[in-house]
Amino acid sequence: MWQTNLKVVLVVLGTLGVYTLVANSIPQVQSEVPEELSFTGEVSIDQLVSAGEDLYNGAGQCVSCHGLGTRAPNLVTDHAGEGTIGQRCGDRVPGEDCKVYLHQSMVNPGVYVVEGFQPIMPDMTRTLSETQIWAVVAYLQSVGGAVTVTAEDIGSSYGDAEGAPAGGSATAAAGGGVGAAGGLDPVAMLEGNLCLNCHTMDGRGVQLGPSFDGIGGRAGADYIRTSILDPNAEAAAGFEPLQGVMPTNFGEQFSAAQLEALVQFLANRR
Amino acid sequence: MRRAGRRTDPARWLVPIALAVGAAALAALAPDVLLAQDTGGEGPRAYGDFPLIGSRTAIWVAAQVHLLFAAFVLGVPMFAVVAEAIGIFGGEDRYDKLAKEFTRLLLVAYSATAIWGAILVFGLVTLYPGVWSYLAGIFAPSMWVYVGLFFFESFTLYLYYYGWDRWKEGRAKWGHWTLGILLNVWGTIVMFIANSWLTYMMSPPADVTPDTAPDMVRFWSAFANATWMPINIHRLIANVVFGGAIVGAYAAYRFLVARTDEERAHYDWMGYVGNFIAISALIVLPFAGYYLGREIYEFNQQMGITMMGGFMSWLWIIQAFLIGVLFLAGNYYLWVGMGRIPGAERYTKYTKYMLVVLVLGVIVWATPHTMIANRDELEAMGGSHHPFLGVLGVMSAKNTAVNLMILTTFLSFLLYRRANNEATVSWATTGTWIQGGVMGIAAAVVLFYGIYGYHPDVTAIVRIGFSVYQVGAVLTAIIVVTLLDIFMMRGARSLGAIRWGQMPARSQYALFILAVTFTWLMGLMGFARSGIRQHWHVWEVMRDTSEWAATPALGYAATVISACVLIFLALVAFIFWLGGLAEKPVIAQVGAAPHGPRGAEASGGPELQPAQGD
Repeated sequence: MWQTNLKVVLVVLGTLGVYTLVANSIPQVQSEVPEELSFTGEVSIDQLVSAGEDLYNGAGQCVSCHGLGTRAPNLVTDHAGEGTIGQRCGDRVPGEDCKVYLHQSMVNPGVYVVEGFQPIMPDMTRTLSETQIWAVVAYLQSVGGAVTVTAEDIGSSYGDAEGAPAGGSATAAAGGGVGAAGGLDPVAMLEGNLCLNCHTMDGRGVQLGPSFDGIGGRAGADYIRTSILDPNAEAAAGFEPLQGVMPTNFGEQFSAAQLEALVQFLANRR
Repeated sequence: MRRAGRRTDPARWLVPIALAVGAAALAALAPDVLLAQDTGGEGPRAYGDFPLIGSRTAIWVAAQVHLLFAAFVLGVPMFAVVAEAIGIFGGEDRYDKLAKEFTRLLLVAYSATAIWGAILVFGLVTLYPGVWSYLAGIFAPSMWVYVGLFFFESFTLYLYYYGWDRWKEGRAKWGHWTLGILLNVWGTIVMFIANSWLTYMMSPPADVTPDTAPDMVRFWSAFANATWMPINIHRLIANVVFGGAIVGAYAAYRFLVARTDEERAHYDWMGYVGNFIAISALIVLPFAGYYLGREIYEFNQQMGITMMGGFMSWLWIIQAFLIGVLFLAGNYYLWVGMGRIPGAERYTKYTKYMLVVLVLGVIVWATPHTMIANRDELEAMGGSHHPFLGVLGVMSAKNTAVNLMILTTFLSFLLYRRANNEATVSWATTGTWIQGGVMGIAAAVVLFYGIYGYHPDVTAIVRIGFSVYQVGAVLTAIIVVTLLDIFMMRGARSLGAIRWGQMPARSQYALFILAVTFTWLMGLMGFARSGIRQHWHVWEVMRDTSEWAATPALGYAATVISACVLIFLALVAFIFWLGGLAEKPVIAQVGAAPHGPRGAEASGGPELQPAQGD
């Protein structure tokens, strides 16, 4: 009996041991979290290239497709006799210089699909910050070409040198644009954009327009969103005489993320 | 012959206690309370800490062990109810007894499932309160339904088991069988509900963004998300495979420690049935896997590529290795088993050829191809693929290999099935030639498309389509040959009854290897499914900002999986031992089965008699 038990235990442990050993014997690849970058105007090319290389080979997961030559063109090795990506990027689209081409390929990947490949490249803004994307661009330029990415590129299109999503909280990932005052904090947005000069909330503000207290019970998210973007579309019952008073440019001031945060905040005030 | 046994079943007390604990945990987590954590005070506590192994591994172990028990208690009732139906419709009492013994194993396993479920809930609440709060905000109504159905399921199980002997005749037996069906219905719905939570984390609806508040997410679109149904189907089939494997291992142990020939014969037969169910369902499982994989790609290309070609690419090599072990062990068990079948010696000469096909198939299937590699590795390899192995590692070769392995395994079953029978119909020779022809044509179709896939003019998308023709040919062959065999073997002359119990001990260890491998494979696939979310709690909606956000490499995952399997098997062994204390089965030899003198079913298998007062 005990001999049988021992044999069974040894078979079970042996089988588990073999599987564990085999799995530990193969190349170990861990999926890293994209490292948050906070470059300033003092960033050097080497720093950018180094950060980009880390992202390219790690958390950016670029090699999942670009290292094989079957799903997507090879970037760090030759592709179709045109050389590495740093050598060929400036010639890919007439009139488009290398860094613009690479940047566009990452933030708007449907624009330049290389012939012979499927449009499977994801929009990298969903997983990488702008700083990280520019770092990857710098690295790709360095593979056979000259790096022309500068700190100004990072700052010029995004204002926020630290970029939006990397490593941040779940609510800080979307959006774009400069954005209105208040960041993503709905209360700070209401205060910073002087909304309480005409609306009341929790005993504060001036009751000119509809109160924000209980607004979620009176209106849904779609209605609130429309009221912010196009306040003259439909006046709230009882406030028709005030139609035209509310500013109509909040759609230009708020980023998408800010607008959505504000809409959800108000819609939840029941 | 009957022996009295004491009915002191500990499961009866453990399940309600565990249920109450779980329900209390859920009750304490009403969405309003949970959401308040995120919005009030000076910032919510998003993550807790667990000593030594960390929060992620703690939750991982709790979830995995819970899932293993859950798979067992969902899989076993499926074939318990099927076995009972065979007993009713076929008039073979031993199937009814077998179904009851399966169900007895369920009782204690249920309590373990509930206990580990409660551990998981408490783990989530204390270690990942932010995530739990978010999910509860969306799925709270379904969580209450889940708890309610779990009660229904538990009490249906009690009625099903404890009413077995009371409702064993006439219409009452039909009512009892209906209870078994109900048990499966409740269990399946419970699984579908839980699947919606985890698949939402993988594939949330497109209109859900990081800024969408949980209560603004539309319930049904979150519930019936893109990967929900593929996971449901995949898990349903996998549960049958898993349940069969565990029952096989249970039977193997009882066989090894049996003290009488009758007992040994019974558990030999039970082990065969468990293995048959596991391997049969396993053959279907890859098709459900393809469906799931396709839906993942449809949902998000990046996620699909991460799974198959990204940092998880090596995982599929390990999977191929494991499935190779399953095929080899399953076939080995059948080949050894043919030693106890009179007449089987006619076929033993073929086993070496089948072994060659299986080994070659495993080698091809486990060949790495499109693996993730950095620049140094690419340069060392001289290109994106290995110069020699790259040729074998492509899908054309792998699909060909796995289809031929399936065909070979089917052939093993076929030979096993007809080993002690000799067809007496006038067209027996012709029929056998037709069977061989159909199998040969199927193999030729598989090989043709496998080789044609290498043609330079065949594009990737066309090559993927070839797998449909290969699978179609194999499935058609299996169906046609089986139907022919059924008709051909009607009234067949028996060459002797299967000598149940006269099985070498080494065959039973093959059943243990099968059970351990199935269990480990479930853990590995669970890691794949969950790991492709990477550093997202909810894919591209809720980011994991904890210190454990990085998804570990396969080596670490393997160690955790092995630990989970060990915990599970140790607990299963314990509760089976408990079950043995509560009820001592007595085996009695029965005479020839009532329906004809052929096949394994007609070989005079043993019968399990329940303990007195059961």
